[in-house]
Amino acid sequence: MIYDRLRWNLLWRRSWPVGSVDFRNVSKRYDNGFEALKQISVSIREGSMTFLTGHSGAGKSTFLRLLLRLEHADRGAIAVNGVDVTRLPERALPAYRRNLGAVFQDHHLLANRTVYENVALPLRVGGMREKDAARRVRAALSRVGLLEKELQFPRALSTGEQQRVGIARAVVNRPKILLADEPTGNLDPELSRDIMTLFQQFRQVGTTVIVASHDRELINSLGFRIIELSQGQLLRDIPGVADG
Amino acid sequence: MAKEKVSTHPWPSPPRARFAWFRDHARVASESFGYLSARLATSLLVWLLIGIALALPAGLFLLQTNLSSLTGDWQGRPGVSVYFERGVAKTHVDAVIAKAEAQASVQQVWHITPEDALEEFQEFSGLAESLDLLAANPLPSSLKVTLANSADVVDLQDVARILGAQKGVDEVVIEKTWLERLAALSSLVNRLGVVLGAMFALGAVLVTATSVRLAIEARLDELRVQKLVGASNAFLRRPFLYFGLLYGLGGGLIALMLLSAVLLLLEKPLATLLGSYGSTLNVVGFDFTFLAGLMLLGGVLGLFGAVLASQQRLGTVEVV
Ligand SMILES: Nc1ncnc2c1ncn2[C@@H]1O[C@H](COP(=O)(O)OP(=O)(O)O)[C@@H](O)[C@H]1O
Ligand SMILES: [Mg+2]
Repeated sequence: MIYDRLRWNLLWRRSWPVGSVDFRNVSKRYDNGFEALKQISVSIREGSMTFLTGHSGAGKSTFLRLLLRLEHADRGAIAVNGVDVTRLPERALPAYRRNLGAVFQDHHLLANRTVYENVALPLRVGGMREKDAARRVRAALSRVGLLEKELQFPRALSTGEQQRVGIARAVVNRPKILLADEPTGNLDPELSRDIMTLFQQFRQVGTTVIVASHDRELINSLGFRIIELSQGQLLRDIPGVADG
Repeated sequence: MAKEKVSTHPWPSPPRARFAWFRDHARVASESFGYLSARLATSLLVWLLIGIALALPAGLFLLQTNLSSLTGDWQGRPGVSVYFERGVAKTHVDAVIAKAEAQASVQQVWHITPEDALEEFQEFSGLAESLDLLAANPLPSSLKVTLANSADVVDLQDVARILGAQKGVDEVVIEKTWLERLAALSSLVNRLGVVLGAMFALGAVLVTATSVRLAIEARLDELRVQKLVGASNAFLRRPFLYFGLLYGLGGGLIALMLLSAVLLLLEKPLATLLGSYGSTLNVVGFDFTFLAGLMLLGGVLGLFGAVLASQQRLGTVEVV
């Protein structure tokens, strides 16, 4: 108990805590019999930035959904911080997911809640006091440059702004791992670049960032590690030059 | 223990936020109240449905309580008439009188000799002359036994059985007709109440379950996102349990109002009806315990419906 607390405090003091991800021979077959991932083995260091790429249907989303435990792997092990999350019991999932941030192409914002309330959702779920939550929400919103829009509703924002609200919600809990599935899918190149810059900032404070994107041009220009999937198999693994 | 925790979970668990549970309950309670009052028309409909479902069995329960209290302390004169064999010995009559007076539930015993009976009959029938022609008095000696106010049907039957078994007694007639009918009615109402109560309680549960189910469907988007960002099942379920509770409590309140209205409407005719049997209307059982019990019942049924609905629907919520 005391050890728990101590370790948690240490991680907390050290800017943002981190998480390593290790796929070992992971296979995923959907209910209709389609095998979306075949024997994937990938190791992602804590605090690194990694791009998942490949054609549509290559298995990028499946990879991220397995990590979030939105899908169950049929074979293999997925170790996060050394613990096999495929074996986490159902009741441990909420606490597990609170330490992951997830961003989707269609951001999944609640239309009838303000920007502030959307971003505050993960904190509320975690039972944080309103006063503390407000500080965190404002910090996250200012990080994505939307502090002045906190009382707006999502539909009043541009697509790029909506995506940034989604990112603010994903990081407000200070997750150890940040996952993004085609976060720039709906954005023009300029905005896409801004979003990627944002992700780099989160990596710089120690978060492990994994971004799935089929925008080869954009991710090639950034110089981070690129894992390319093809028909559920590992095609290429290009180490990053910018990745310290 | 600490080691175990670290090794079965990727992250060390943060210290639990103190009072988080209470804070969330307070927040959800007020939000649910706001949600229901924002949809007042729908909520009123649900409350009315549950109220009616509760009012009927509750009304029957009240009726039954009152009927059994009526049969319990009836002001009329329940009693038995004991007819002796003709030419019975005086010692036997005295023994039966002593036996009757020894019963705790017996209030008074009158002895009517054959002569008394004949006199009374002549007076009553106006057949004096013709009866004078009879050689012997055909009427038996008899006793009229009245019971104390506290006596009930069972006491009456006991006394009749005991006296009927005495020597020299020819026949015992129980003067109880309306008392008996009332008791039979009371037990009918009782059974009806149990059957209807069960059916209508099921109805109340289904009404809340359906309403809660609709509320869940309406908030499915939100539930998905909450699940994605790590909401526990208890967290997801909480607002809906409050819905159920509030629906049920509101239904209980409506049931109370309905019952009060019915009592007001029926007060006069009921008093007249019961007054004709020498009783005044004095509704028993419509007291604080009854009111609190009805509210509590409503709350419990509503909560149960909500548990059913959320158990059935929230388990299958797909996260994005
Ligand atoms: N729920 C599902 N049921 C059946 N097949 C699915 C499901 N989700 C994805 N797939 C299939 O799995 C393959 C990989 O999908 P996905 O991981 O979404 O690829 P990507 O994100 O790289 O486009 C696709 O061929 C897709 O049709
Ligand atoms: Mg995809």
